[in-house]
Amino acid sequence: MSVENRVVVTGLGIVCGIGDNVETCWNNAVAGVTGIADVKSVDTEKCYAHKGAEVDIPSEELSGENYDRSSLLCIKAAGEALKDAGFDTAENGGRRIGVILGSCVGGVASIDRYYSDKFRSGEGSFADGTGDKNDIYKMPAAAIANNVARHFGLNGETANIVNACAAGTMSIAYACQLIREGKADAFVAGGSDSFSSLAFSGFHALHALDANPCSPFNHSSGITLGEGSGVLIVESYEHAVRRGAKIYCDVLGSGVSSDAYHITAPRPDGQGQMSAITRAVKSSGLDFGDIDYINAHGTGTAKNDEAEFLSLHTLFDGNDHLSVSSTKSMTGHCLGAAGSIEAVFSVKAVQEDVVPPTIGYSDEDLTVLAEKAGDICFVPNRKQEKTVHYAVSNSFAFGGNNASIVFAKEPAELNIQKNTQPVYITGIGKVCADKEAAEKNVAINSADYKEHGIKMAFYRKLDHFSQLQLLSGVRALEDAGVTIDESNENTTGLIIGTADGPIKEIADFQKNAIENGTEKGSAFAFPNTVYNAAGGYLSIFSGLKGYSATVANSVQAGLQSICYARTIIRNGEADKMLAAGTDENTDIEQELYGALSVLGDGKPYSGSGIVLGEGSVTLMMETEDSVNKRQASVLAEVAGCATAHQATEADTIQGSETALEEVIRSACEDAGITPDRIDAVAGFADGNSVVDQTELNAYRKVFGRTMKVFSVKEDFGEARAASSALQAACAAEILGGRTPDVLDCYEVTADTVTRTQTEVGNFAYMLAVSFGLGGSYAAVVLKKKTV
Amino acid sequence: MNQEIAEKIKNMLVESLRIPAEELEYDSELFGDDIGLDSIDSIEIIAGIDELFGIDMTGQAKENFQSIETLAAYVEAHI
Repeated sequence: MSVENRVVVTGLGIVCGIGDNVETCWNNAVAGVTGIADVKSVDTEKCYAHKGAEVDIPSEELSGENYDRSSLLCIKAAGEALKDAGFDTAENGGRRIGVILGSCVGGVASIDRYYSDKFRSGEGSFADGTGDKNDIYKMPAAAIANNVARHFGLNGETANIVNACAAGTMSIAYACQLIREGKADAFVAGGSDSFSSLAFSGFHALHALDANPCSPFNHSSGITLGEGSGVLIVESYEHAVRRGAKIYCDVLGSGVSSDAYHITAPRPDGQGQMSAITRAVKSSGLDFGDIDYINAHGTGTAKNDEAEFLSLHTLFDGNDHLSVSSTKSMTGHCLGAAGSIEAVFSVKAVQEDVVPPTIGYSDEDLTVLAEKAGDICFVPNRKQEKTVHYAVSNSFAFGGNNASIVFAKEPAELNIQKNTQPVYITGIGKVCADKEAAEKNVAINSADYKEHGIKMAFYRKLDHFSQLQLLSGVRALEDAGVTIDESNENTTGLIIGTADGPIKEIADFQKNAIENGTEKGSAFAFPNTVYNAAGGYLSIFSGLKGYSATVANSVQAGLQSICYARTIIRNGEADKMLAAGTDENTDIEQELYGALSVLGDGKPYSGSGIVLGEGSVTLMMETEDSVNKRQASVLAEVAGCATAHQATEADTIQGSETALEEVIRSACEDAGITPDRIDAVAGFADGNSVVDQTELNAYRKVFGRTMKVFSVKEDFGEARAASSALQAACAAEILGGRTPDVLDCYEVTADTVTRTQTEVGNFAYMLAVSFGLGGSYAAVVLKKKTV
Repeated sequence: MNQEIAEKIKNMLVESLRIPAEELEYDSELFGDDIGLDSIDSIEIIAGIDELFGIDMTGQAKENFQSIETLAAYVEAHI
């Protein structure tokens, strides 16, 4: 394999229901020791199921910070992995080591605590009580990667992939892609999720919990929830060799797909699963007959097990040495951490030549298994010793997301068709508040759906967050003139960025569990509490089956989604990508942001605080070939993309000024220009004095001249990820000639900021840049298309 | 059909399954083209009927779930 494509695993860390380190967990996994017991942290008294695989360590013993349990579990696992890798995290100020983590429920334990405090102190009324405002910053999944980065002083790219139960696998896959793209030397990659009353209540409502310990590929009568974190240090081979690191194995290809079928259930025909597995195996330069072990998704629900059983038998027919096991039979289903924990086990299987078993088979079960297993060995009850050259780990999720990744004893020549063509923006879909209205909310009514042929039977299922995203996604497809059909369904993908995700749906679900009991969860509402439900609905409605991810990373996530989408295109996984930013503004956001005392008049550069907004903005990005093939009209070229990070406290960007300067310079460099070629900026000022001053200082330092800055938040409020995506849309519309020739803007000089107007007709390059609390930045340079 | 029971069921469907009230008639086909409910919704209906009337419809035949009318008839017969 060419050295520049080689990514290796150099460190492992894990904490889950069967141990708090790799050695203990691995020994227990191969010995078939279960971590499943009666649940302690959630009141299950009135539930029909009581089992779970919890980590028997109090949060304060995991790490000293006042973070959410999901972050603390991950710090524990990442600490072990970094130590194992022998990493000098201080090298280059930690700039070349990033943190990409998956999570499903994020900070939901803190949401639980916040509202439980309110309910208790209000003597049965949420409205009358008070919660600890420190819990508010711990709520979003977006906090996890930044917390981990801050703990270890890592300052490469951070992201939280929030595609529910596929998140852990997707995070590792994405980290490897970024290394192959040269964006970092190494990543802390994996996933984390704490045990939560929300997940227990939700799966209970769906009748998806097994009353007994789960029994994957056996009784298949439901899942058992677990908690934990798995972390891999993935590193470029060159970097690992240079520092003399111990190498566990290679990470080869990966595959991510979307079912476009149902919001919770997998396609019964396994088509989406097979698409992800096939892409993983083929991009690894391998064939199905090469695979020795698959750590299955194997949740233990009838729907998953039947679909996965069918997928594996279909693809691996003729492979006479395939072993398949589900370690969830011991660790429980750790949701966003599942893929990362199972990745650790897959790496160990490759290293040790031992396959861990699926436990829980009785003698009678073994007879049934023998009849249905065919050539596949399901490794029942006892470990199997065999040479494992190639191991695959599968993760499938709510929203119809599928992910698969390959670990290998030896390097292989990857079969990746890298794409270096220019990438263009060819369509924009916007769902924004009314410019003139004081309250920055979006009212959606049935006429909005009917306009796009969306039926009531479909849209009634959507929560507000999903509604915003569906409409902007559909509008972007229409604006670009793209209809998804058999010819493009697998080569069109989707990245959604968000700061807070569907926080209203999550908080309301949690409040119901607190007020009425764990057993009273709503089966209807639960599927919408996962961050990637919105992407799932868009994919179901449009038929889009390609790469699909949702990334949670504060305000800048709407621009990070563009950077992420371009990485996927460059990696040859899609020729069209929708990149979006979405956040909502409901009673819950008003309550939470109000409690943080950050609200004000929203005036950029002179404001008393932010005005919350909401919306969704989706951009269609596509390769030059795709544009030419369908003779699409182009708004602008995505000429440069960059991210940067300087870890700060989770409630500020103070202390991360250098990362902002760096991200602007890097995006320009990526576009092949110097900053003096930038004609104007679509900026991120929102009325918060620290944010606005940081922005001004950076422009003054980087550009050193008068700069024209457009403000989208002045008109539409701080709609977080929707705003940052809107900044890119604003720049694309200006460069694409969709706006009037003269526009309002701010003129930023060395010591003044004044309202003015500017001619925009001659602009050639524009910058869109935004910040994330905790010190994350993304920047995109857009270039006018020259005919 | 007992109007009171039917109205309660209708309100429950509107509230917990976000079905627009103006599109929901007593004889609308719940799981067919009219309203388009699916298996997750049926779980919610069972929970709702249990909550409202203390009647467990778990495992009952599909025919009972056809419309508000059939649900109301089942409730009336088992109350």
